[in-house]
Amino acid sequence: MPDRSPVPPAPVVLKGGKLLTITHGVIPNGVLVMHGGKITAVGVAGSVNIPANARVIDVTGMTVYPGLIDSETHLGLIEIEADDATNDLIESSDNIMPHMHVYDAFHAESELIPVTRANGVTNAIVAPASRDTIPGQDLLIQLDGRSAPEMILTRDIAMPLNFTGEQRRNASFEKAKYPQTRMGVVAQLRQAFLDTQEYSRKWHEYEKKSATDKEKDGPPKRDLKLEALAPYLEGTRPIVLAAHEPSDVETIVALANEFKLRFVLNHVTRSQKLMDRIAELKVPVIVGPIYELPKDDQRYDAVYRLPAELHKRGVKIAFASYEAHNSRNLPYAAGYAVAFGLPYDEALKAVTLNAAEIWGVDKQLGSLDAGKTANIVVASGDPLDVKTDVKRVFIQGREIPLDNRQTHLRDQYSR
Amino acid sequence: MVRSSLSRAALAIAALLLSCAAFAQQPVVQQTAQPATPTSEFVLRNATLLTSTHGRIERGSIHVKDGKIAAFGTTVNAPAGVPVIDIAGKFVTAGIIDSHSHMALSDDVNEATSPIVPHMRMEDAFVYTDKAIYRALAAGVTSAMLLHGSADMIGGQSVVIKNKFGLSKEKMLFPGAPASIKFASGENPKRVFGSREQLPSTRMGNFAVQRQALQEAREYMREWDDYTAKAKKGDKDAKQPKRDLKLEALADVLRGKFLVHIHCYRADEFLTELQMAKEFGYKVRAFHHALEAYKVADELEKEGVGIDTFADWWGYKYEAWDAIPWNAVMSMRKGVRVAIKSDSDDYIRRLNQEAAKTMRYGGATEQEALQMITLNAAWIMGVEDRVGSIDVGKDADLVLWSDYPLSTYAVADKVWIDGQLWFDRSLPGYGMPNYKEGL
Repeated sequence: MPDRSPVPPAPVVLKGGKLLTITHGVIPNGVLVMHGGKITAVGVAGSVNIPANARVIDVTGMTVYPGLIDSETHLGLIEIEADDATNDLIESSDNIMPHMHVYDAFHAESELIPVTRANGVTNAIVAPASRDTIPGQDLLIQLDGRSAPEMILTRDIAMPLNFTGEQRRNASFEKAKYPQTRMGVVAQLRQAFLDTQEYSRKWHEYEKKSATDKEKDGPPKRDLKLEALAPYLEGTRPIVLAAHEPSDVETIVALANEFKLRFVLNHVTRSQKLMDRIAELKVPVIVGPIYELPKDDQRYDAVYRLPAELHKRGVKIAFASYEAHNSRNLPYAAGYAVAFGLPYDEALKAVTLNAAEIWGVDKQLGSLDAGKTANIVVASGDPLDVKTDVKRVFIQGREIPLDNRQTHLRDQYSR
Repeated sequence: MVRSSLSRAALAIAALLLSCAAFAQQPVVQQTAQPATPTSEFVLRNATLLTSTHGRIERGSIHVKDGKIAAFGTTVNAPAGVPVIDIAGKFVTAGIIDSHSHMALSDDVNEATSPIVPHMRMEDAFVYTDKAIYRALAAGVTSAMLLHGSADMIGGQSVVIKNKFGLSKEKMLFPGAPASIKFASGENPKRVFGSREQLPSTRMGNFAVQRQALQEAREYMREWDDYTAKAKKGDKDAKQPKRDLKLEALADVLRGKFLVHIHCYRADEFLTELQMAKEFGYKVRAFHHALEAYKVADELEKEGVGIDTFADWWGYKYEAWDAIPWNAVMSMRKGVRVAIKSDSDDYIRRLNQEAAKTMRYGGATEQEALQMITLNAAWIMGVEDRVGSIDVGKDADLVLWSDYPLSTYAVADKVWIDGQLWFDRSLPGYGMPNYKEGL
């Protein structure tokens, strides 16, 4: 980890930049004040009071925007993909693993994190890989901190539920294990949900009884798996439902509704025919994988157009990289969706405010507004264009060094 | 099929090693395409030309005739009766070229049953009906080199195609493209054979296998040369050696009949490979992937070896751990010829964005960035005198872009190959003027 200064005691002011506020438009010649880790003022030059003791940074000609939020990554779970020793992506001994907590594996010192934040990604959801139906629970991080606890913003913020076909244990007919089919996957899930409801009922009963002091049998045996599932069946936290094909989306949404789950959708890359139906669900969609290849009978841009199609129908979207090493390229997926019809402002929202709203942290993240955490990016231009160079990154008001393993190698061999 | 969540990195390894299994072929659909007449002639007007060789020309025109660029510049006269297409200030580049692809090879990328299989010809595996070609075409890619994978030390012979999706196999082959062959070293051959407890399982084994094969090829070549010389002299006792396809291909490497492409990541391995090439007297055209080229760029420049690399992929395996996005430009500044390639059915669809990253990482100029996916890629494949730039006499392989091509926002609006309109985004369906599915 590079040396990191504490939250600066004096205010920091970014002056003269083009502010992409997300919530109240673009301010061409703006001033942004950060203090105590938060944004304290945002406005047009002249309208914002610059504190006398402030460190003022002239960012004339630069574009200033809120730190980008990647709505699904594997940051901190993997270092070198082909090296199993560095890989904590997924516990695949069973399909239903809600008691796997990403925070137990999250590797704060991963070399990937400084590389990623150097391109303006300041926050990310960290999810396990998708081989299991329920691979564990996600983490929300900020991409700076001395240790995992400093980087972790919310533990168990959501739970992925994958129904893409990949979860079937059907490597070969001879070696197949339950669940070998989609039917099996759903049956296994439904059983787990019923078991959870039963488990919760027992515990509620016990708690009710013990409150009146009449409990004699002692508490039910704790089951970490069912305990982990319980908040999701009670709807207190969101489930991230991943499916591609229309039939899979229909099946898994039906199951989610059967158990009254609170959910957001993920992927839906093959569900061009379901756009209206998805819009009716009134749930957000994580649309990252626009690079998914269309089916052979589809036009080349069938997947590229999905974000625009969803937005047109009023669906709230957020982008994800679904990546670790290439999480830094998150904004380009949003930009490419613009090339295929998504309005620019929506694309920008989909990597900032929309993501913050979906993850329930929009009071802290996602826009340039006073009171929010000072996660700020200063760049040479349009955040969604590949040519744009990120010049400064602030996380919680701290200016983060942009050097990393890659810049060190560059500098070493440039001498 | 569904991609894993680590799709791109996984795809890299899949493409390198196991072929693009994730994109296995759907059943082949009958297809027909009627190319426009080869004599079609037209003038593009009022375009911003990014030429790859002469910089940018504002309000430029291109006169296309007989499949070639007949004239271009600011003062091009349209002959009477020749249709004029007004581009309204949009951008035109030469067709994008992918000098490292495994598309349209179905699952037949690696004959990984022996580390030395130079007699495998990708042309024999080329699935010309693969929709990956269409999707690449729709992204402005007009030519590609399809290579053997990297499971083997000496893999197979490449096929170079024009992306005239819908035509027959023969008509898609790039006419006159020189023969290319692919070598590989490092982790992939180590893993493939090592996991079977076969040779090679180390880099020592890698190069021992390669050296042994080249040694045998040298002897085979001598036998044949002796025989040919004797036969020429009319020596009745000259006995014709037995033909061996494998050694014949390797002998052709030694005779300089192939452009030699080497999949190789690590700096030390470039130098080992170059030493091997010296020892056996062949020349290396390009190192592919070459993620550590920046460490030994001077040496590569001295040997005239190009690199065919990624813009910013890294970390998918140990030998990709020192990859940096400045590799392309740092190597280029030392005089190395650099191309950016896809190695992926996905990334082939946005090579323009990948090239644009070199403008950000290291400050490539517009033309330098564009050359990495046009002229330099053409050079890697040995067709730089035919394609890769907007120049008089070159094939009229052209792309009209909706926006500045070296950006996130550009989409190919129209694509011409050999002067024929092969893709037009404004058309319904696949956007191909003469392609229909089914007969």
